[in-house]
Amino acid sequence: MLGKGYQLSQQVTYRGMIWLLAAQLVVMLPFAFYLPIWLIPVMLASTFWRIRVIKGESGQPKLVVRLFVIALGIAGVMFSGMTLLSLDTMVSLLLLGFAFKSLEVIRQRDALVVVFIGFFLVAISFLFSQSIPAGAYGIFALIILTGALIANQQSPAQQLSQNSTRSSLKMASAMLIQCVPLMILVFIFMPRFSPLWSIPSFESHAKTGITDTMAPGDIANLSKSDELAFRASFTGRKPAADEMYWRGLVLNHFDGKSWQQLPEEYDTDELKDQLQAIIPWKRNSVEVKGEPFRYEVIYEKTGQPWLFTLTPTTKVDGQTIQFGDYRVMSRGDIQSPLMVNAVSYPDSKRDLELTEYARQSSLQLPSNGDEKTRAFARALRADSSNDADYVNKVLRRFAEKAYFYTLRPPLLGDEDTIDKFLFESQKGFCSHYSGSFVYLMRAVGIPARIVVGYLGGEWNKNGDYLAVRQYDAHAWAEVWLEGEGWRRVDPTAWVAPSRVEGGLEAAVDYEGSFLEGNLFSTHHFKWLDGIREKMDALQYGWRRWILGYDNESQKNLLKSILDKMSSVPLAALVGALFLGIFLLWFAMLGLLGRKTYEAYEHQLYRKFCKRMEKHGILREPQQTPYEFALIASEKLPNKANVIRDFSTLYQQLCYVPGGTAEREAPHQKMRKLLRELG
Amino acid sequence: MTQTAQALINLASSQLNNVILGKSNQVRLALTALLAGGHLLLEDLPGMGKTTLAHGLSNVFGLEYKRVQFTSDLLPADVIGATVFDAKTSEFNFRAGPIFSDIFLADELNRATPRAQSALLEAMEERQVSIDGESHMLPDPFFVIATQNPQSQSGTFPLPESQLDRFLLRVSLGYPDQGSERALLRGKHGRKSLDAMQQCITKEQLLTIQARVPKINMTDALLDYVQRLVAQTREQDLVLLGLSPRGSLALVRSAQSWALIQGRDHVLPEDVQAVFVAVAGHRIVGRRETQGDQLARQILNMVDVVGGVRV
Repeated sequence: MLGKGYQLSQQVTYRGMIWLLAAQLVVMLPFAFYLPIWLIPVMLASTFWRIRVIKGESGQPKLVVRLFVIALGIAGVMFSGMTLLSLDTMVSLLLLGFAFKSLEVIRQRDALVVVFIGFFLVAISFLFSQSIPAGAYGIFALIILTGALIANQQSPAQQLSQNSTRSSLKMASAMLIQCVPLMILVFIFMPRFSPLWSIPSFESHAKTGITDTMAPGDIANLSKSDELAFRASFTGRKPAADEMYWRGLVLNHFDGKSWQQLPEEYDTDELKDQLQAIIPWKRNSVEVKGEPFRYEVIYEKTGQPWLFTLTPTTKVDGQTIQFGDYRVMSRGDIQSPLMVNAVSYPDSKRDLELTEYARQSSLQLPSNGDEKTRAFARALRADSSNDADYVNKVLRRFAEKAYFYTLRPPLLGDEDTIDKFLFESQKGFCSHYSGSFVYLMRAVGIPARIVVGYLGGEWNKNGDYLAVRQYDAHAWAEVWLEGEGWRRVDPTAWVAPSRVEGGLEAAVDYEGSFLEGNLFSTHHFKWLDGIREKMDALQYGWRRWILGYDNESQKNLLKSILDKMSSVPLAALVGALFLGIFLLWFAMLGLLGRKTYEAYEHQLYRKFCKRMEKHGILREPQQTPYEFALIASEKLPNKANVIRDFSTLYQQLCYVPGGTAEREAPHQKMRKLLRELG
Repeated sequence: MTQTAQALINLASSQLNNVILGKSNQVRLALTALLAGGHLLLEDLPGMGKTTLAHGLSNVFGLEYKRVQFTSDLLPADVIGATVFDAKTSEFNFRAGPIFSDIFLADELNRATPRAQSALLEAMEERQVSIDGESHMLPDPFFVIATQNPQSQSGTFPLPESQLDRFLLRVSLGYPDQGSERALLRGKHGRKSLDAMQQCITKEQLLTIQARVPKINMTDALLDYVQRLVAQTREQDLVLLGLSPRGSLALVRSAQSWALIQGRDHVLPEDVQAVFVAVAGHRIVGRRETQGDQLARQILNMVDVVGGVRV
């Protein structure tokens, strides 16, 4: 590829520069979705400027101008509202530098720098998105970058040839395709090291999914989104619709309006420490019963630490923490899809003994407010035989009185919200029902708490997994009863049984409020369901096998391969692998190709020359066979006859027409003479 | 016929070797050009025997021989002739110039102006002369021997590359070795013996031999070698101007002619090597100030004789 006399100090040609600019634009484009929007015009402007310079319409920018532009760019990044020293700021600065670099690309060395930074940026773009389209775009960007690399190392003559663009692209693709086997090998067998430093968090990524407080109306917002929350696949038993309560977090503290986890303010790291201290996970608090669910969940990126599992989870792997209220959290915020394996025993009894802290926190109520509800609760409890009967009476009241399940509830104001809901509006959704239920329990001294998570999900026929979306978000309640422990109670199910059986869409079917703010959601179009499902299965495979391939999967794969194979075939496989690589290498060097390329008599003659070389007689390229035979036979008088015969035969075969008539016999004779030569 | 032709050629070259002492290789190259039907450029200093060689060639073949000394005031008409008004018949008659001869010696070609040079070169390529709209065929065989002084000498108009290309071979005679010079000084040989030469090949015999040259066999292996050589002359970092297709054709034709003189019916790499410098030396232009001859020798040493694809 490199022409003779090629030097790095050569100037970048017009065509090389165009390639470079195209590659730069291709590389920078995906960042436009994540970083400050003003970076795009800057990128375009510097490209445009550079093109003007190439065409000679404006001069090369002077040092002062360049310094000014750089200062302006840095100031722009500073004032874009990003934290100093965050990943976003750093990537923005790198992008700026990358965009401006094109302005001072003059020599081929500069072009190489641009291309190499481009490769680095392609890798960085995967920090922002790891979807299938992002992967495909990454490959495209690699091809263009490699093409630019090739175009900048061709001689001017090669660049001027007519199909140079196509041939550069073709060569780039061929080079990348050659890398694929190695890439697969490295992907499968390269050990995954944990990062030496943690990636600074992305502030540009809004936190999505369930929040850690619940005021009336919160979950209704979630139900407007059809974004994926997580996918789960089960080995063995699969849960029924009324078993798929995916526990996320537990809300204990009520301030009269909204529910939250702890009475005081906290950030997630503090929360983890505090929960570890007050409600540590104890294996023996669960009395395991029944058949377990074994499942694998892949959580989508949320920027939050909540994980959603079936209750109670007894075993969970990976970077996770379990707590005494049966929730599971990730050790860090989920910045990229996370795969977790878990085991849950849904029929178990939990916390037959309640700790003092747990009893206190699950009985907490504001000191005043909602007096009507308190009075009502006391009256109803007095009317009931025991706690369990009281629970049933409350639930039956939800079912029998005129309570409606709606995503468009009336506003309840700031005070006495429970009173207003229970006795006036009587319209609401899960957070209203679970909140008021827990309030009714606590009002008469029965420990109760709110659990937030997802209910249900959609089974995919192709992938055999469950897809849980944001609109499956749900809130339910747990009450603690003497001798039974924590019991899951879903008051919403008494109001709208279809919410459990058929999901949100069925529950609000009568009012048509399903995904009403989201007109373009594919969920509105039934005829798209087939395609949607297939796309979903594809996405799942990508998440499961490509992004989810971590240390654990690697260990399992290697184990399964090694277990199945005895040592002999394994050694054969490894041997064959190496042999294959070497053969490929030889083929690429053209060693195999050249031998078959030359006619047989020439090959034999070269062997003859090798033999002579061993005797210290080196043939110069310009020496004809006859000339060489004279020299050689002079130096090796005892072999002179053989040398002369061989050379004469070769010469006749090559240059005398008609001497070529019989090809096989002379070849045999040549071989015989060669053997005689020793 | 081959035997006879061989004998004739041997006779001719031995006679010529008597005239030009110690230059058998150059004599053979001159014969090669003549038999291949191409023109010969002799480049050397004055007094090296260029004219003697030309004269000798014409004597051996019994051909008509004319010579023009090119000078800076020579006009095209002095070479190719002119239409002259005849007062007696009151008609314009064409008076043929010296170029209408079998062997034409253009002495010191590069002393003439480009105008006069080009008149000759046109005749060489077309083998006909056009004057006042009338074409006049040149005789067959028609053989031009041009001599030229090295271009560093003052008062010369160097021939452009396109015109040099028309000469099949360029040969330098060079200084004689001591033995030859001694013999020359004794006066037994040289120019005087020109008169003693006998015609040994008739015009008809020459034409028959010329017709045989293109029929000398060349195998694929040989053409592979020729093409490797030609490709090397086009290698960009070495050469500015490589061999044109006309040049490679000249190489092949000269090699065939040389093989014929050696008495073979097929061409060997040795034949190609023997004529390569004479064919390529004046056609290729080196990237540096290298002389074409040196460059051609370099290329010859670089290219492997052995090898090739079976077709």
